Amino acid sequence: MRELTYAEALREAMRMAMEKDPSVFVIGEDIGVYGGAFGVTAGLIDQFGPERIIDTPISEAGIAGACVGAAVTGMRPIGEMQFSDFVVLAMEQLTLQAAKMRFMFGGKATVPMIMRLAGGSGTGAAAQHSGSLEAWFVNIPGLKVVIPSSPQDAKGLLLASLYDDNPVIFVEHKLLYKVRGPVPEEWYTIPLGQSHTVREGKHLTVVATSVEVMRAQQAADALAKEGIELEIIDPRTLRPLDIDPIVRSVKKTGKLLIVHEAVKMGGFGGEVAAQIAESEAFDYLDAPIRRLAGLDMPIPYNRNLEYHAVPQVENIVEESRKLVEGAY
Amino acid sequence: MKEVIMPKFGFTQEESEIVEWAVKEGDKVEQGDVLAVVTTDKISMEVEAPESGVVAGLQYKQGDIVPVTKVIAYILKPGESLPVDLRAGSPNSTLTVKPTLPQPEPAPAISNVTSPLGTLTPVAARMAAEKGLDTARIVGSGPGGRVTRADVEYFAAQGADNGKIRATPAAKRLAREEHLEVGLVPGTGPNGRVQEADVRTFVEKKSSTVEVPAIAATQVRDGAIRTIPFVGMRKTIAANMTRSAQTIPAIQLEIDADVEGVLSLHQQARAHAGDKKISLTALLVKTVAWALKRNPMLNSQLGESEIFLLPDVNVGVAVALESGLIVPVIQHADQKGILDLAEEINNVSARAHQNKLRAADLEGATFTISNLGMFGIDRFTALINPPQVGILAVSAVKKQFVPNQSGEPVLHHMMNMRLSADHRVVDGVEAARFLSDLRAGLENPEEMLL
Amino acid sequence: MVQAKTEKLIGGIFAREKALQLIDTMLLVRSFEENAEEMYSLGKIHGTMHLSIGQEGVAVSTASALRPKHDYLLNVHRGHGHFLAWGGDLNRMMAEFMGRETGYCRGRGGSMHIADVEANNLGAQGIVAGNMPISVGVGLSIKAHKTDQVVLCIFGDGASNEGAFHESLNMASIWKLPVIYLCENNAYAMSMSIKKATNIRHISQRAAAYGMPGVTVDGNDILQVYETIKTAAEYARSGKGPYFVEVETYRWKGHSKSDKQAYRTRDEIKAWMTKDPIARFAKVLGLGEEDLEQRRLLAREKINQAVEYAESSPEPDVKDILDGVYA
Repeated sequence: MRELTYAEALREAMRMAMEKDPSVFVIGEDIGVYGGAFGVTAGLIDQFGPERIIDTPISEAGIAGACVGAAVTGMRPIGEMQFSDFVVLAMEQLTLQAAKMRFMFGGKATVPMIMRLAGGSGTGAAAQHSGSLEAWFVNIPGLKVVIPSSPQDAKGLLLASLYDDNPVIFVEHKLLYKVRGPVPEEWYTIPLGQSHTVREGKHLTVVATSVEVMRAQQAADALAKEGIELEIIDPRTLRPLDIDPIVRSVKKTGKLLIVHEAVKMGGFGGEVAAQIAESEAFDYLDAPIRRLAGLDMPIPYNRNLEYHAVPQVENIVEESRKLVEGAY
Repeated sequence: MKEVIMPKFGFTQEESEIVEWAVKEGDKVEQGDVLAVVTTDKISMEVEAPESGVVAGLQYKQGDIVPVTKVIAYILKPGESLPVDLRAGSPNSTLTVKPTLPQPEPAPAISNVTSPLGTLTPVAARMAAEKGLDTARIVGSGPGGRVTRADVEYFAAQGADNGKIRATPAAKRLAREEHLEVGLVPGTGPNGRVQEADVRTFVEKKSSTVEVPAIAATQVRDGAIRTIPFVGMRKTIAANMTRSAQTIPAIQLEIDADVEGVLSLHQQARAHAGDKKISLTALLVKTVAWALKRNPMLNSQLGESEIFLLPDVNVGVAVALESGLIVPVIQHADQKGILDLAEEINNVSARAHQNKLRAADLEGATFTISNLGMFGIDRFTALINPPQVGILAVSAVKKQFVPNQSGEPVLHHMMNMRLSADHRVVDGVEAARFLSDLRAGLENPEEMLL
Repeated sequence: MVQAKTEKLIGGIFAREKALQLIDTMLLVRSFEENAEEMYSLGKIHGTMHLSIGQEGVAVSTASALRPKHDYLLNVHRGHGHFLAWGGDLNRMMAEFMGRETGYCRGRGGSMHIADVEANNLGAQGIVAGNMPISVGVGLSIKAHKTDQVVLCIFGDGASNEGAFHESLNMASIWKLPVIYLCENNAYAMSMSIKKATNIRHISQRAAAYGMPGVTVDGNDILQVYETIKTAAEYARSGKGPYFVEVETYRWKGHSKSDKQAYRTRDEIKAWMTKDPIARFAKVLGLGEEDLEQRRLLAREKINQAVEYAESSPEPDVKDILDGVYA
């Protein structure tokens, strides 16, 4: 199959949607001739013009509000937060307006919008430009939270999000933008709320998200040489969460490791752990559930410190080995 | 005028400290109101007003240690007043405060030793407080079950969940499926945690060889020698068993009982009980209690120059825990029906496994049953727990060919029971009569009605 | 001279019949709120509500200068008057206040979030200035659909000091979006006097900073507000961009039901009560007190019927509690 980068896959999804549907537009900072801070929207303005690839002033609340207002009046906007951290400035519109509008109006309004966040560390962008904030949105009923880990998922999930009638927070990872992978050329969607078993194995279930899915796969390759087989599951959608495949997997392996880049305390891993502890998989747990996550700190600038602030391949290898060998 | 006395809470308790007065003189109280909080080193209890009225004449102050049954205050009815000599601070009421002393028992009965309610040495109490340990869960190895510094250190080293069975949910599930107490399985996981593989190994082994119940909290792994502190409960059991072996001239008699009769009663009881779990142990306790009632010498204690025939039949039932053997007691077993016994045994053994036994659960056994039937044991000898004079070792129920009345072989369920009895008190004939009664009760339970 | 101007307006723009309708709507709004206040005291309505008594003139004049149901409304939290003037059904509105299934939002929104999406009424707003960024999106949507609609975005003086106010005005202006920003300056943001909250004479001065027209008018003068909104709507519809209208008015009641009003004087309230928009407009129309009382009784009667409707409506079923969280 043809290969694209994650950024190209996203761009292709947006292009296909805009070609097909005049109600779709993209709005954000420097997404026009600049092509977006990470080049995701590069060239789209040439095809669709400034009316549909809308460059905005530095006004994050305005961008989010523009999406809400357009969505509730019949458009399907795609907003972009240049760095996921800036979503803090748009939280009111996303959490108090977009998320609640349908409910407050007695189910009589729909807000079909996407807010794309360029998240994650690993680029030296330091503490205010490297956040992994997905768990915040998972805590808001009315929002959906999508977090693709591969080019193929990025395209299919973006198109599915666009045609979901709810506001979707679409969490991308800066380090993934340049990752290549097979992407079908045609229009396809990957339903929201469907976990993906990325790799099958019998010794340990690893639930990973975003860039950590890639790292978990590398860890699994290394461990396979030792005879340790990881089963890797990528939830892909954090809200709604498709827990069943994880439950089934834990019943099979008896052990669960959750890996994400976001800070551990209050992170999404805690939710997965809790749901597993509440599920029928509990009786099959043969070791404590473990989490590997970002350290309890802002992302540091120094390259080496930054590297050590979030789970890397070797951390996953070591933690998996310990779990499988019964160290916990 | 009504006297308020320092109540006795425990079997062996002689005194309590007044931690706090909840009332002052002149306060109006209703019957049942809390007057004072008192403690017996481990547990805090409340002294309640025996009737309504006005509190008067507090005889002690906070911090005083008061012998049980002493008057600590009075409740006055309207119109009554307190005699001058009973008023607080009058010469009569000055008391010498006794320091807390361990009870001068030569050696404790096993039920007392395993009680979570022993006293603490001051240094042990301070250490436990500093480490934030639950003192009620520390097993004492000192005199009278007193918790010493070494006990606290051992407890702390074991981790805060000492005494609790550590097993993964998967191990517990498998054990449940295999009808097996997970506490009997040696754990090879961190801190001796039982893992699924341990249960599986145990089940496989059990089908070939016989395992002694796991008593040690940790197991030797990988060929390395590891030390297990010989302190606490383990040490107490050791002292007690040595004393038993060295001082009691025991006789042993054994008998094979045909248990078809009691099994059939068991079936009926289960049908009758509905959801309630009726264990065979309940019927065994019932039958033993009945036989003890008929043979009082087996339900006695040896004093200095007398033998006490005990009025109550309290049957101890040994339960194996990871940290050792514990013997919860079914009080007045002779007066209880099978359903009640079954419920009580279920409760007490659940509490034992959850480490939630109360002092009363462990006190006052007059006879003990030790059952290793679940391990497929054919026959074994049990050592008597002094000051009791008898213990019954019960083995597995097995199918055997036995001749029927016309001499033809029939397959019946049989069970071996071996009695150890203190020969200083019990003669062979008495022991034989007891065993014979026991067999009769098991073979024809209806005998117990006659 | 003012009198002559109003005569001219009535003769030229309003049929007398329409002017009388405005009076009736104002009476209805006031009766509705007086009734709601009473029901609140009786415990039939819970939560909180923001009464606009004294400000009714803005609502009726604004709506009459626009095309309700065709244009979009982004309402303010103190928006009962605007809701009714936009053509809201009294019964369903009352049912919403009483949390009934037949209410506009099936009892899920209440006073603060009441919306009528079918009538392009995108709801009252619980967050100060929360509707302002949304106005940008609605404006973009109108542009994309190439219609002649406008968005009426209403907010109070307090909203003008929120960051969202500035982002939104700027964006609407650079993209020439058809938005009428209606600032109801009723002198207080809860207890904070606008005189203490800003250092400018008129909030409308801020419009200049974003390159849009901005005017300040007497909010209790129905004809003046009407004329201004008319101008603003023509401007916006013609593609010239947003228009900022500040109306000066006053709420007679506290900010919400829990307001003790320690921040203003009785005399100040009394002075504003003499500028009652209903009495003023009645005078312009030459309506006698008897006539007015007759109309007031009719309004009350409608309110009573609405209460009856609401009270006989079912409560939402708890089994439907999650309805509307997701599409």
